[in-house]
Amino acid sequence: MTDLPRERQPDPALEERVVSTLVAAGLVQRRRAWPIWVAAAAAVVVLAIGVSELRPKHTAVRGNTYVLMLYEDSSYRPAPKGHGAERVAELARWADSLDAAGKFERGGHLVGPGPIGGLFMIRAANDSDAARMAATCPFTKWGGRLEVKRFEE
Amino acid sequence: MTDDLALVERFLRARGEDEFRTLYRAHTPALYALALRLTGGDQGEAEDLVQESWVRAVRALSSFRARSALRSWLCGLLVNVRRERIRADWRTVDAPDIEPAADTSGPDDALDLERAIGALPEGARDVFVLHDIYGYTHREIAEMLGIVEGTSKSQLTRARTLLRSSLP
Repeated sequence: MTDLPRERQPDPALEERVVSTLVAAGLVQRRRAWPIWVAAAAAVVVLAIGVSELRPKHTAVRGNTYVLMLYEDSSYRPAPKGHGAERVAELARWADSLDAAGKFERGGHLVGPGPIGGLFMIRAANDSDAARMAATCPFTKWGGRLEVKRFEE
Repeated sequence: MTDDLALVERFLRARGEDEFRTLYRAHTPALYALALRLTGGDQGEAEDLVQESWVRAVRALSSFRARSALRSWLCGLLVNVRRERIRADWRTVDAPDIEPAADTSGPDDALDLERAIGALPEGARDVFVLHDIYGYTHREIAEMLGIVEGTSKSQLTRARTLLRSSLP
């Protein structure tokens, strides 16, 4: 066998990118910030004080689910060779920020023919709120087109 | 390898971040080294390959059984992701075949060999790297790449012949 190194350590940032991507795609569950008993204890306190006074701030999640479809039309500028991971990481950070506000459901790539390269499912209070959230998605700055539709089961 | 299976099962129970990171740290250095060789040392492309391979691996982990070692299963995924990308991107299809083995004037034999491997045609390079560097058998390589063992053997002969003629 040829005696060349069989292992190389990549940039540590790659691990964070991979984890963020998997979390955004709903394939990995983010670690709980607090142990479960802390959350349980907090819930008891909230109930004791009165739910109406301490309603979670992100009441927007009580709205609807919206689907953001990412169109890779002719205006879309694909990532330069070797920079695809940076874009995925940027999308993952955007999804993480929505997730922190309880406004993110899931997202991922769509594989197969057609211009839609991926989609996100988000929670928004109403159509205009969904449109505002969609406008913050980094996908548009690469020439991509976003379409927002309310999802009804 | 049974440790790997235990790690996979633990991850699948909750799909937790910590369990994934354990798997990632155990196998990524090998995946990254393989990706660097397959891309001729392109770090950005190699990182993309590793990332895409993990996404696919996590999607398919529930179908992983200890029939093969987790590492060879992951390496097979990575090689196939690379092949799909080459097929999808016509600009890179012929590049490994026509590019010279870069500057081979350096004094470092290992570096010369790395460059020469990077310049091999795709099929020959994949088999050479998996067989002569990673020590996989022709049967394992055939399974990973979806080819017959005879093709693996002939690609290895081709790779060795090309390397002998390109190295000083």
